[in-house]
Amino acid sequence: MLELRGVAVSAGNRILASGISITLEKGEMVALCGPSGCGKTTLLRSVAGLVDPAEGGLLLDGASPEELGWPVFRRRVVLVDQRPVLLPGSVEENLVLPFTYSVSKGRGFPREEALTLLEAFGVSGERMAQEARSLSQGQQQRVCLARAFLLKPDVLLLDEPTSALDPEAVSSVEGTLATETRRRGLSALIVTHDREQARRLCDRAIDLTGYRENAHDR
Amino acid sequence: MTGENTVIDLSVTDMAVAASLVLVSVGISIALKLNMEKKLALASVRTVAQLLLIGYVLQRVFEISTLPALLPVLLFMLLTAAHTAVGRPARTFTGLGPLALGTMAVTSLAVTITATGLIIGVEPWYRPAYLIPLLGMVLGNTMNGVSLATDHFLETLTERRHEVEMELAMGATRWEAARRPVADAVRRGMIPIINSMMVVGVVSLPGMMTGQILAGTDPAVAVRYQIMIMFMIASGASLGSMGMVLLSYRRLFNCRHQLLFERIRKRKP
Repeated sequence: MLELRGVAVSAGNRILASGISITLEKGEMVALCGPSGCGKTTLLRSVAGLVDPAEGGLLLDGASPEELGWPVFRRRVVLVDQRPVLLPGSVEENLVLPFTYSVSKGRGFPREEALTLLEAFGVSGERMAQEARSLSQGQQQRVCLARAFLLKPDVLLLDEPTSALDPEAVSSVEGTLATETRRRGLSALIVTHDREQARRLCDRAIDLTGYRENAHDR
Repeated sequence: MTGENTVIDLSVTDMAVAASLVLVSVGISIALKLNMEKKLALASVRTVAQLLLIGYVLQRVFEISTLPALLPVLLFMLLTAAHTAVGRPARTFTGLGPLALGTMAVTSLAVTITATGLIIGVEPWYRPAYLIPLLGMVLGNTMNGVSLATDHFLETLTERRHEVEMELAMGATRWEAARRPVADAVRRGMIPIINSMMVVGVVSLPGMMTGQILAGTDPAVAVRYQIMIMFMIASGASLGSMGMVLLSYRRLFNCRHQLLFERIRKRKP
């Protein structure tokens, strides 16, 4: 499925972690752990291709993102940012947005499924017409998660997926995340600082601290 | 008073009377302790000095009869305008100056030469008495458009970085992710000229038209010239804004559909 080969991530001229090789099998959920500043988020952004890794490369089903085309790759490997990002407009407009991209040509907006996913993540379907940015941060994060599933990716990249939620909401969203991921046979790479969450959600956890031993200045 | 259609010359005494109009303001400033008299005096002296100088320079420039001799003048105008245009935005990126110079040179010269060579039909097309004032007007407006559009584009990409990257992360191409900031920036660059076009002749009488009428030109001819000028500066400002924003977009998004945010930096104060 998704393969990271000898990836190194950097901040400016400093390599934060290097030699990262991970193979994410179909349906597998893997946690990326480690202390702040060890490069977890940067690694996730590198996998999404928003920044170039300092070294190494990626393969999705044996093909590089260049061979697939970056928009196609990103449509199959969807990143959900730590902070919920929604554009001005209704919740529905935000959900429809990625279906307007050329990479989604021919795929209509599955409204029924959108409603089901929103409900599964604890957002009432009545919110579809509401201004997305008027929702609480927690609700916005749920909308972003629902949108990611709606895109039917092969791999989900989740950066601290429950960071904007109230403690009591965390377990229900975790439950939906696990259920939906397994039900759809998706793979997921999840950045979390919470080792308990890693244990609850994921099949295995990778601690980036081990890769920091290779950290050096370029 | 001289005959109709000839210019009434202004003597030094006439200039002094005009200056006395400013003296009234200076007097009021002193009386009310507004502390503006020094600035007003300096501004008045600069106005006289700069206009006398440009009058002298224009006399010399208008005597130029060959294109190669005119090129340094054009280059000086373009460099000054490009330098001013890239100096205003709060943010910048490497290569902004050459991009602005190239964009403004191509759009301003194309628009101005179309006017002198094709519309007015001046012989030769580069006759300085026509080319230089027209290029000056087009360049001034293009400069404003380019400056505003660039400022807005860089500001938007900085403020909405997460939105742009969120779109890219869901499979948007670089153009799909950038089209909103691009459109907003081009619109911002065109607002001043569109506003001017909306009120021209109603709220404001353009300086060039007023000047032509005072210089004895038939108002109908002056109006036709002014219409041409308005279209020229509208075209220069809009093409300049579009060109500049599109070239900046190409520089700030790469073929891997990434936003190269680290290229944008705050200008040093």
